Amino acid sequence: MPDTVSSIAFGLFATLCVGGAIGMLVSKNVVHAAFWLLEVSVATAGIFFLLHADYVALVQLLVYSVAVAVLMLFTIMITLRRIEDAIRPRDFSAIAAVVGLVFGGMMLFLLSRYTWHPKSAVFAADIASIGRQLFSLRLWALPFEIASVLLTAALVGAVWWAREDDR
Amino acid sequence: MHVGVGAFLMLGAVLFSLGIYGALSKRATVQVLMSLELMAIAININLIALARFQTPRTMDGLFFALFTMVDSAAEVGLGLALMLAIFRRTDSSEVTTLDELKG
Amino acid sequence: MGWVLAIPALPAIAFAVLVALPRRIRNTLLWVPVSAISIAALLSIGAFVRVLPGGAGIVVWQFHWPLARIGGHLLELGMQLGPISAVMLLTVSFVAACVEIYSLGYMHRDERVGWYFAVLSLFTSAMLTLVLADNLLLLFAMWELMGLCSYLLIGFWFELEAPRKASQKAFLTTRVGDLGLLFALFVIFKQTGTFAMTPVLASVGHWAPGVAVAAATGLLLGAMGKSAQVPLHVWLPDAMAGPTPASALIHAATMVAAGVYLIARTMPIFVAAPPVLHATLIVGAVTALLGGLLAAVQHDVKKVLAYSTISQLGLMFMALGAANVVAALFHLVTHAFFKSLLFLGAGVIIHAARTQDMREMGGLRKHLPVTTATFAIGSLALAGVPPLSGFFSKDGVIAALLEAHQYWAVATVFLVSLFTAFYMTRLYFRVFEGPEQIEHLHEGHASMIYPMTALAAVTCVLGAASVAFAVFLGREGEWPTLGLVLASLAVAGTGIGTGWWVYGRRSVVVNTRVYKERVPGLYGVLQQKFYFDLVYETVIVKPYMALTEALAAFDLRGIDGVVNAVARGWVVMSALSWRFDSSVIDGAVNGVASIARDSGKRVRRLQSGRLQTYQRLVLSAVVLLVLVLVVYVVVKGV
Repeated sequence: MPDTVSSIAFGLFATLCVGGAIGMLVSKNVVHAAFWLLEVSVATAGIFFLLHADYVALVQLLVYSVAVAVLMLFTIMITLRRIEDAIRPRDFSAIAAVVGLVFGGMMLFLLSRYTWHPKSAVFAADIASIGRQLFSLRLWALPFEIASVLLTAALVGAVWWAREDDR
Repeated sequence: MHVGVGAFLMLGAVLFSLGIYGALSKRATVQVLMSLELMAIAININLIALARFQTPRTMDGLFFALFTMVDSAAEVGLGLALMLAIFRRTDSSEVTTLDELKG
Repeated sequence: MGWVLAIPALPAIAFAVLVALPRRIRNTLLWVPVSAISIAALLSIGAFVRVLPGGAGIVVWQFHWPLARIGGHLLELGMQLGPISAVMLLTVSFVAACVEIYSLGYMHRDERVGWYFAVLSLFTSAMLTLVLADNLLLLFAMWELMGLCSYLLIGFWFELEAPRKASQKAFLTTRVGDLGLLFALFVIFKQTGTFAMTPVLASVGHWAPGVAVAAATGLLLGAMGKSAQVPLHVWLPDAMAGPTPASALIHAATMVAAGVYLIARTMPIFVAAPPVLHATLIVGAVTALLGGLLAAVQHDVKKVLAYSTISQLGLMFMALGAANVVAALFHLVTHAFFKSLLFLGAGVIIHAARTQDMREMGGLRKHLPVTTATFAIGSLALAGVPPLSGFFSKDGVIAALLEAHQYWAVATVFLVSLFTAFYMTRLYFRVFEGPEQIEHLHEGHASMIYPMTALAAVTCVLGAASVAFAVFLGREGEWPTLGLVLASLAVAGTGIGTGWWVYGRRSVVVNTRVYKERVPGLYGVLQQKFYFDLVYETVIVKPYMALTEALAAFDLRGIDGVVNAVARGWVVMSALSWRFDSSVIDGAVNGVASIARDSGKRVRRLQSGRLQTYQRLVLSAVVLLVLVLVVYVVVKGV
């Protein structure tokens, strides 16, 4: 029974993801597309929950759903003069479609042929263990610090770029 | 449990492909950025899934995913800031406006 | 005796000198040809004296000059001097001298007089060589040369149409006869292997049967052409379009006599071919009659004399037909003198009256006394009135025919004499008597009068030499019998009387329309000159001209067409090659440049400066690589 539930759950979340992604691509309204992205990120969080990665799911929600999506919406609003500017054509590119299809097709094909041997160890993805490993010098402390620096640089850069010209 | 690694990875592949399509075909900068984010999300799904099923003890993929999330957040912020700057300069929010390397 | 060569050589040198000079200088050197012929005449007297006392077959001098050796045969110039040649030399050179002196007066105002004298000299030289020739080829060459000179002299005033057409007609008609002559030469050569006359004539008796007939026929044809016998007579009346003194020399005295001379010279061949001899007689008779009839209906003074010449030549042929060389040649000689006299007189008349139509003349006797007198002498001689030379020579012909028992021919001769007397009387009265119709008549120049007087003098006395002539040529000569004398007188008298009766009695210009209306058919036939010209024109000339035009058209369209097509082909080729060069070669060159430019244009689109383009490129490459890898792995794995 847990299998069935997880299968259904997976199916639901997967459909939501893919559907949302398609929705995002197909939408003529940029604002709507942003909302679709929001929906995808939420559905992904659900996927993460299914993978027993609760913390990551939450971080996903915080970062993507809230920060990224909102940021996008704000930017769209700023660059929009009129509401009509939000409506754009669908922008089809054959090369892009081909590349996407070939790549996706290839991956699906390979994945379907591969026989997985999953490890059945305990997946301790709780906050405590993540925190412990994140700050341990032997493990992820360095990348953590570097990530911080990265964020700072990005912050500075974004502030710089986004300021008004008439200064 | 019945849903194996493969399913998650396939989901990731699909999303990634969709993201490629969007990144390569959209003209509005925001939409390109959104597609890139989609690709990042797909990567994260892959990483988490693989971490869960292939390296559950060390959870490498999980941390990787955390850091990619940081990275893509920074990227989005910076990207949007740039988009604003360009918008102010060229009055256009399309990717095609910047073509000074043309020819 | 080599000086005999100077006789034909001197006029030839005169020709060479004149022809090489430009016109202006040439026209001042007229004394050159005149003195040349005069000296030749004197030398001819010398030659004649040397040949005396003559006799048949006597050869006083011979000259052989080998020219070339062809095959096994020797080609040489052969000349000999015998009685016949001596007589001919004398006649030709004397008459030619008179004509040239006369021409000084007659032609002196013509701007091409120098050329006239040059051709005249050339002609004289050719004739003199011909009578000296002992070689058939040499004779033929001179024959042709004289034909050329005749052509040049008839067509002397080539600016006018009549002389042009007449000279062509003369040349072509005599050409027909010349073919016969050539044929005869071939036959003779085939039979005897040589062209030298003496051996040829000597060997006639040994010839195969029929050869003599063939040769004689050819010779007869040649003579008929040159001597204007029917049916090859048509050129002579038209030849009157040339200058009158030239007509006097060539078409009365000398060239037309060459035919007679030829037959006389080759008589042994004719004797060996009796049918041909008989044909000669008949031809002569027909010609004499035709000439006489047509002379009576001509209005042009010169045409009367032309037909008269034809008629008299017919008489000579009749004598030849009786195998009597002496009679024919004697008549030839006397005729040469009085006919040239008549022609020269006609020249004066025409010069004075400024017309050639005798219906427009009259009463010239009062103004041109000397001319009248000399002309009268010539006319009487022609009519055969004793004691003028013409009577004796004509009688000689009759005697020859009697001797050959050709009585019908004798009757013909009498008939012809009747006509002759008639038309000459007609001519005389029309021109010299009757009312004057022209003003400002004057006598000819001295240079014209003296030669005429000289010729008249000869005409008067030459008759006395008739027997001596025969002896000179190696035959027994006899004076005309009383019967003949009376018959001739009667005939001549009748003719003159009729002429006087029709033309001489009136004091007004005679209109003979009444007579013409009485015999319209006969008159019509005579008017059309027995339709000879008409028939020739329709049957020969017109189809031939059509053929030449067709050929010319072929040449123009065909050959020129080919040439033009080739030229056009070249033009097309060059245009094509230009096009090839410009489109293909230049196209290739330009094409390379275009390819470079266009491919550059297309490739440049990659450098769009747009981010997504590069992304697409990169990703496509990557995906492609991966795909290759995947396919490889999958295939390998399977």
